Amino acid sequence: MDIFYDAATKIKCKSIEDWQATGKPIVGYTCSYTPAEIFHCVDILPVRLKGIETEGMEIGDTYYGPFICSFPKCLLQLAGKEKFKFLDGAIITPGCDGMRRLDECWRKAGDDYKGIVPDFFYYFDVPHKSEGHGLAWYIEELRILIKKIEAQFNVTVTDEKLSESIKAYNKGRRMLKEIETLRYKEDVVVSGAEIFAATVAGTVMQRDDYNKALAQWLDELKNRATSLSAGKKRLMVIGSISDEIELFQMLEDTNDAIVVGENLCFGIRYEGNEIEEDGNPVEAIARHYLQSSVCPRMYGKYKERFALLKQKLDAARVDGVMMQNIRFCDLHGAENSLFERDLEAIGMPCLKVEREYGPMIDVGRMKLRINAFLERLDAGAKKKMAS
Amino acid sequence: MRPEIKEYNYDWLMGRALRTAANLPRGTKKEIGHTYQYIPYFKDIVKSLVDLGDPGFQTLDMLATYYENILSAREKGKKLCATTFCNSPVILYAMDIVPVTLEMLTTIGSLVWKRGMFDYMDFCVETGMPETSCSSQRGAQGALLSGLCEKIDFAICDTPGVCDTNANAFAFLTEYLNIPFFQLNYPSSIGDRRSQKYHVDDYKGMIAFAEAQSGNRLDYDRLAEVLAEVDKQDALIADLEDMLMLKPTPINPIYNMMLYGGRFCFSGHPQYTKLLESMVTSAKEKAITGVSGLKNGKENLRIYMSYIDHYTADLNFFHYLEERGIASVGCILSKNFRDNSPYADALAGSLYGIDTTSPDAMLDSLAQMNARLPMVRSIRGPYDKKGMWLEESLTFAKMYQADCVIYNGTPGCRNTWGMLKPYARDIEKHGYPCHIMNDDAFDDRVESWEATRERLDEFFNIRGLL
Repeated sequence: MDIFYDAATKIKCKSIEDWQATGKPIVGYTCSYTPAEIFHCVDILPVRLKGIETEGMEIGDTYYGPFICSFPKCLLQLAGKEKFKFLDGAIITPGCDGMRRLDECWRKAGDDYKGIVPDFFYYFDVPHKSEGHGLAWYIEELRILIKKIEAQFNVTVTDEKLSESIKAYNKGRRMLKEIETLRYKEDVVVSGAEIFAATVAGTVMQRDDYNKALAQWLDELKNRATSLSAGKKRLMVIGSISDEIELFQMLEDTNDAIVVGENLCFGIRYEGNEIEEDGNPVEAIARHYLQSSVCPRMYGKYKERFALLKQKLDAARVDGVMMQNIRFCDLHGAENSLFERDLEAIGMPCLKVEREYGPMIDVGRMKLRINAFLERLDAGAKKKMAS
Repeated sequence: MRPEIKEYNYDWLMGRALRTAANLPRGTKKEIGHTYQYIPYFKDIVKSLVDLGDPGFQTLDMLATYYENILSAREKGKKLCATTFCNSPVILYAMDIVPVTLEMLTTIGSLVWKRGMFDYMDFCVETGMPETSCSSQRGAQGALLSGLCEKIDFAICDTPGVCDTNANAFAFLTEYLNIPFFQLNYPSSIGDRRSQKYHVDDYKGMIAFAEAQSGNRLDYDRLAEVLAEVDKQDALIADLEDMLMLKPTPINPIYNMMLYGGRFCFSGHPQYTKLLESMVTSAKEKAITGVSGLKNGKENLRIYMSYIDHYTADLNFFHYLEERGIASVGCILSKNFRDNSPYADALAGSLYGIDTTSPDAMLDSLAQMNARLPMVRSIRGPYDKKGMWLEESLTFAKMYQADCVIYNGTPGCRNTWGMLKPYARDIEKHGYPCHIMNDDAFDDRVESWEATRERLDEFFNIRGLL
């Protein structure tokens, strides 16, 4: 578990240091619509960029305007502070309007802070449609990206290599899925913070090393007997992007709750779907990444996302949902409201909070809201028992 | 929402107010003067338009008709489609569908009511839209969500890939009211083969959706007529743009708003052609004599608004420009990016043309036109890339001889605020003083108009512009 915590809670973790020592390239990316398999298959370490370790916002605020979510601002701040110096490349994706503008803000900050823009700086255009011409566009984008990677890093991406990487990633996905099912049990032996740390670590660690560590951890979990869930409220965390293990710890440190699921783009969200291992690998990757429809950036798919959420809530026997959105994240802010309306209507208590991303600056206020929510769940449980 | 607000059907309220205003020019001078006493908070906007003569009368009539179309759609058996300002209504008119353009409705309410659209914006937030979302949708959206408007049958927006908050507003509205929804989606590039093809493929999907929802098949003969009207309108717009380049320009700042407001409401509709003809005639008279379009006849400064204008109560912003003798050479909303425009050569490769020789040619024309509407064209990709915001802002500032560039928008505009500071810095690097307005174009509660005015004055004084 230490290796996961190290990878999840440090920007330059041991896994990255070890890789860097080999002299092989590292490419950072900002959004879950970027397929890591494409990099893995040519011995490039794909690293999802995290906003942790931010200690100020003077650079983020200089280039971004005031009405922007604090997550991309943190990424810019870290870039400006040379925390991403280990990157040989960066992929910017229009996941949302705040994140897409990291492209210009990072490049322009590079005029003032020399050397902070990686040599390979690429804008990867992901459409908002997942079928027909939307899918065709994405497939073509993947092929263009592959060509750019080949040219930049002097490598060759073949279907065979890509298929092998898909298999490697699927192996990890299957294990995460198995770990996820442990949370469905009455007695849960693993905390939400642990699982989230292990999942976030997967976006940073070299996949084969990750799979090995995950296999060991899975064996360990299977032998755990002590229930962490007895007498506690079972919560799910959903909403805006978060890579903060502290958020989960804060919930679980109440000693009255355990997180038994999350629906966050850093969490186990794609893991229900493995990538097809037969057929054309680029097309299989495209279908997987584009059609999972897990992010509100894919407009008009609310019903699909609600059905998926409901399924997860039922499987994990959730007592209440904490829905958070980072201020100025309108996509999750609006969708959380719809979720709240529809979940409360079927008797699922919800806590909707708007917050800042960052070093848990909202912690006092958040704790107050969380404690009140847990009291509400208590009252609800007592009422249910009485009736 | 306050109970008294719920007493009135919002569409009816606005429709009647606008029709009454549109009838005003028919009255005697005494009748007009008397009426002004009864509309103290609406007086200046009506007076401004009435004082413009025929183009102003046409504008009032056009806005009143727009509302009447919404109010009478049901009894005429027509469907109402909620849409956005940057989605051309041309296809809807060709299919006999009535457009309900959220931003137009918010703008009208903001201009006409002393309290603006505040109550409706707040109601929208009560239903669950974040308060940080764009006010231009939030106003009309609140009225729709409160059930005080004509029922919408379906919705089409074209902002995914262009503006999250806009697209998100439609996604929320349609889900909340359980209305069918179609989104046109745009790639981050323009003018290249791939993106041109994507525009057409997507547009075809939108037509299929509109046909299914309205029960009306697209009649290509009718579409040809509507496009011919657009062609006529584009030629008139090109005339106005030519005159906007003159120094002093005979174009009054409010003409810009009439130009784009009309285009958002009635593109392809003869009523808009009539308005443009009237504007061209009136402006030509001034151009011949070399008179400024400003009421005092003196042009002290020329500004290019690189995003949108300011729309809160009673045309305050436009009155301010008049007072200071400032000519506005347009904004992102007023440029149509047609291939016969005076700036066509400067922006070659990212414009549209109109070809009515075959159904495919018409669809291609429409799709490419739609892809050049405000925001859709300019802020879909990195601002400093070919065909994007910086290139067009500098082109317009140079060609129209602007003395400075001013940004105005809303705090909800995540997309522009994400790149605005580097953009403004690049504009300055090219020699144009650039001012970022921090208000909300539709909501004076964010920054009072008085504060906005002070900041504009400060900018003009400090930079030695006025």
